[in-house]
Amino acid sequence: MSAATQLYVSTLLVYFFVDLIAVWSFDLQFGVGGILNFAFIIFQAAGAYTVAILSLGPSSTSGGFQTYVGGWELPFPIPLLAAMAVGALLSLLVGVICLRRLRSDYLAMTLLVVSIIATTVVTAETGFLNGPAGLSLIPKPFSTSLGLGPVDYSWFFAGVCGVVAFLVALLTWRLVYSPFGRALRAMREDDVALGALGRDVHRLRLMAFVIGGAVAALSGALLAEFITAWAPGSWEYPETFAVLTAIIVGGRGNPLGVALGALLIMVGVQQAVSYLPTVVNGDFTAALEWVVTGLVTLVFLWKRPEGLLRERRRRFGKRTQAMATVLALPSEGEGGIPDAF
Amino acid sequence: MRVLISSLGFGVVTAALVAIPAVAFTLQFSVTNILNLALGATMTLDGFAAYVVNRAGLNIWLALVVAGVVGAVFSVIVNLLVFSPFARHGTKLTGMVIVTLAVGIILGNLLQGVVGGSNFFSYSWDIGSTISFGDLALTSTQLITVGIAVVAMGLVHVVLRYTTMGKAMRAIATSVPLAKACGIRVQLVANLAWAISGALAGIGAVLFFMDTSSFSATTTNGFFIVIIAAAVLGGIGHAYGAMLGALIVGLSTELAAALINPALKDVVAFVLLALVLLIRPRGIVSEVSSEKAIAA
Repeated sequence: MSAATQLYVSTLLVYFFVDLIAVWSFDLQFGVGGILNFAFIIFQAAGAYTVAILSLGPSSTSGGFQTYVGGWELPFPIPLLAAMAVGALLSLLVGVICLRRLRSDYLAMTLLVVSIIATTVVTAETGFLNGPAGLSLIPKPFSTSLGLGPVDYSWFFAGVCGVVAFLVALLTWRLVYSPFGRALRAMREDDVALGALGRDVHRLRLMAFVIGGAVAALSGALLAEFITAWAPGSWEYPETFAVLTAIIVGGRGNPLGVALGALLIMVGVQQAVSYLPTVVNGDFTAALEWVVTGLVTLVFLWKRPEGLLRERRRRFGKRTQAMATVLALPSEGEGGIPDAF
Repeated sequence: MRVLISSLGFGVVTAALVAIPAVAFTLQFSVTNILNLALGATMTLDGFAAYVVNRAGLNIWLALVVAGVVGAVFSVIVNLLVFSPFARHGTKLTGMVIVTLAVGIILGNLLQGVVGGSNFFSYSWDIGSTISFGDLALTSTQLITVGIAVVAMGLVHVVLRYTTMGKAMRAIATSVPLAKACGIRVQLVANLAWAISGALAGIGAVLFFMDTSSFSATTTNGFFIVIIAAAVLGGIGHAYGAMLGALIVGLSTELAAALINPALKDVVAFVLLALVLLIRPRGIVSEVSSEKAIAA
């Protein structure tokens, strides 16, 4: 492979791993827990900004071309961990305000408002996170100590992202196929019934929201370290929609499915569109990506709302099977995801 | 005192600008039970339709009528082609809000692709003379805006209160099966609600774009949030609540802009929204039921 191809492939690999972490965190909230988090992208952004502030050093040392609060130079894993903490705290704050007994679509709309307001505030308050220009020159971890060339470093960083994605995969599988995951699914299908069974629905919802928010921040943190810049333009609300499309296409509630969705939509569609010749103008090509994403969502919601890889249904033993028949519950293999949308 | 009075005046103008689309949003929601997140993009479409005819030489107030018609026709078409089929297909509330956002993103980006993402446009019209009331100075355009909003709100009131159609809308808003049982043609009334909402959105878009004086394909993004804030504040699904919400949002944002920092105008609307969500999650006067069916 030539150096350019290697750089391209390794960069794509970084994006894919970051997208994987993002879809898994969003799927825990939406696919498994049924919380349609239209503000997803602000938690990714929170992680990115945290990493920037914790590795850029004080604002004054950068020659004053960008201004932001705080500013430290902390070694590698600390900014990532701090990003997760910030993501969790922000989710807790938003969750406590918004997750109270709101109808699912109403909640989604409220979160969309939160997302746009967050962009507005960060853009307007130039002293907070350098306003519309955003933060740049975020140092890449180990870039000086390793002394690698750009291609080798890109492979190295893809490896780091791969390891983190693997850890997130372990966490995701553990959570999705655990009693906690089952409770989340039950909440998604019928939160009143789950409440009647004695589970604290509000607490469950908040937990899914906070865990998802922390992992989302981690994905943003890795992305910011790789592209070394982060600005309000990178996290406008349609970005959430791209992650959502990946989940709908791949199969909500199925970690393997949403990973496939991330590959097809977030890597596939984006790359395919960038290869199109510029027909009318640059704006048109950029817009086309979103038009395609929107259409794909509509087609899947119409034709195959359960996604390419349908959510794995739990196998019941003979006794529970009999009980399900008595209770007239849908048995294994029958029907799709009841009331999924 | 002077600042206070003039910001109160601007607050009323902002309230008028917000009230028209907020009532559009909330009225259509009360009938169809669909949160139309594509309303912002619809407004952009209507605003640009008015721009085309206005630049072709049509008077701005006639262009405003054109925008209203385009908005009404477009909303009904989208309902017939997308929302209504999805509802009959069995798409539930969560799915529906994804569908409306998808439509909004598709439409918004098509418009951005056609007119360019960062190109700015403006209508041509005579801004009129400035009229002073003591410390308060408003342009005649601003006065006409307030006038149009008052007339539009009055019409909505008359339609909802005194016509059979309004009665049918209120019936559907209360219960779809009961309305059906009474022989109300739910689909027809839902389409009428979409038409009224689209027309109001078109009128609101042109007035808003006149007020901002220059606009791009993304100008309605931030404004749509203020619209939602007003609708939620007043209790979503209640036309009068939306008017009240618009007044609260209009006055408080203008006062905050004058007294604190103009950049934080939209943020004040958000803080109000957060407070309402904390204290009364369903708005000041509303009752949002999760059992209600979609009518499309």
